[in-house]
Amino acid sequence: MTAISEKKPTGRRGWAADLCITVAMLVVLAVYVIPCLHIAAVSFSSSRAILNDRVSLWPVDFTLDAYRQIFAYPTFLSAYQNTIIHTFCGTLISLVMTILFAYPLSKAFLRGQKTVMRLVVFTMFFSGGLIPNYLLVASLGLTGTRLGILIPFAISPFYLIILISFFRTIPVELEEAARIDGYGWFGILLHIVLPLSGAAIATIGLYTAVFFWNDWFYSLIYLKDTQYPAMLVLRNIVSGSSMAGQAGGVGANASLAIAVKSAVIIITTIPPVLIYPFLQKHFVKGMTIGAVKG
Amino acid sequence: MKGKSRENRKGTGTPAARRMPWRHYLAQYWQFYVMAAVPLVYFILFKWMPVLGNVLAFRRYRPLTGPYGVSWVGFRYFEQFLTQPQFWNAFRNTLILAALNLAVNFPLPILFALLLNELRATRLRKTVQTVSFMPRFISTVVVVSTLAQLLSPSGGLITRLLKDWFGVAPVYYMNEPEYFRPLYIATDAWQYTGWSAIVYVAAIAGIPNDLYEAARIDGANRFQQALHVTLPSILPTIMVMLILKIGNLLSLGFEKVLLMYTPANSSVSDIIDTYVYRVGLQSTANQYSYATAIGLFSGVIGLILVSSSNFLSRKLSGESIY
Repeated sequence: MTAISEKKPTGRRGWAADLCITVAMLVVLAVYVIPCLHIAAVSFSSSRAILNDRVSLWPVDFTLDAYRQIFAYPTFLSAYQNTIIHTFCGTLISLVMTILFAYPLSKAFLRGQKTVMRLVVFTMFFSGGLIPNYLLVASLGLTGTRLGILIPFAISPFYLIILISFFRTIPVELEEAARIDGYGWFGILLHIVLPLSGAAIATIGLYTAVFFWNDWFYSLIYLKDTQYPAMLVLRNIVSGSSMAGQAGGVGANASLAIAVKSAVIIITTIPPVLIYPFLQKHFVKGMTIGAVKG
Repeated sequence: MKGKSRENRKGTGTPAARRMPWRHYLAQYWQFYVMAAVPLVYFILFKWMPVLGNVLAFRRYRPLTGPYGVSWVGFRYFEQFLTQPQFWNAFRNTLILAALNLAVNFPLPILFALLLNELRATRLRKTVQTVSFMPRFISTVVVVSTLAQLLSPSGGLITRLLKDWFGVAPVYYMNEPEYFRPLYIATDAWQYTGWSAIVYVAAIAGIPNDLYEAARIDGANRFQQALHVTLPSILPTIMVMLILKIGNLLSLGFEKVLLMYTPANSSVSDIIDTYVYRVGLQSTANQYSYATAIGLFSGVIGLILVSSSNFLSRKLSGESIY
């Protein structure tokens, strides 16, 4: 954040302009915050209050009914567990593979590096498309297994290139010194390069984790229903094909369904939103490296 | 951006590594090849095989015979979709949605970054910045269901507000074709403006202060400084971002469109990607070859867009990305 929040002292102190800008920004802030507040409020409100349209930004007749309902529902708990498994394993596999590929590719003197680099860059702009990818995963027998979601997304060409550019900014002298001390290239990667790459790795790790956490579409086409993640369950609730269907109907039941849906939204959204401010400092640095320096 | 990699080419061991005999070269660097072995096999299998899998567009598919089809049929599937009104509807929808989205959501982050820069209250600026990144981490499922809830004709927050303050009768917004595009663009703005602005905020932070001082001495007010100092200084960044955006013009938020799709708004919400999904995977008929042909068609257009925008920008401004 340091680089990004540096202030340019501009111009005379026109208070009218200041006021306009401040008000505009407060409005922007409200546009971001109000939807979140409303959903949270609904999730903690009684179904009677929701039915009577009394809930706006604050819980009315505070209750935990919606959350109780969710936690009593085994499908949701196992889906949440699936989300956690996919996010954790997927991010781990992805980081290991991306690091192992990016380090050799950051060494332009290696024979064959240029060819592989061209192949990588090309896939950034032209990829297989939905159907060829699907048929490949299916023909390898990965559909219906967790590997179907974990493996196909292990390396993203885009994040790979971010990491390659980052590795290139590490001074060669450090590696040369370690060479002289008798380190192999694996040792150098582990002891010299990785400790210096925290920002870049946190960035792509966060992107990847968010991808797995938020995925519903690829889970839908590659997994079977016992492996569905929470986002897909939420999507099915919204489209009316599960859970809310049972609680659905008219009056109080329909309102409870709205509360349950809101509670699911809160529970599935809180983890990434809570983690990200801690990584914010890193990813702003990591992202501007990838985007600006190329 | 091109020149940069050249100076880095003096990595460890170079320039000797280029001329070394293979025996010595491998003795020094074999570990790199071990490192890259698994990822390389993975990359060929999962990123390149699907690219080759596009041949299915020219071949007939038969179940259980692998992803590459059984016999050549030439351009039959292309002729099929090119004469299909449903395809042209999806094609037109894609172009319109992409163009409108670019027109709104390309300038918006620039404007946001400029405003953010002019905001004097440091606390507020940091808060707005942090909060504006946050939607990037929220799933499209959550965004669309929140939207549906806010706009619900039976007691959604926005519907209620419109009724109480302006007397607007409740409408089922998520179902009405004329609201699909505005809602798509608005949610994109909500989700990505703060995020896309990061690059511009970083670029603004890098502008040397003496430029502003000089402008002030010349009597420029804040608006003039923003217009004549800040904006020209971040123009290269804007160009690069514009090339990227135009190159990826056709890759709309497929998942969001799919989530917002209802039979009632299908006349505007069916884009190429959702059409491919519907005919290829969702329908029980599974017209794999036909869907691959459409996917290939839009992929090739995308590739042409990327390379021509990159070429143009190199000619016009000397900025190129690849």
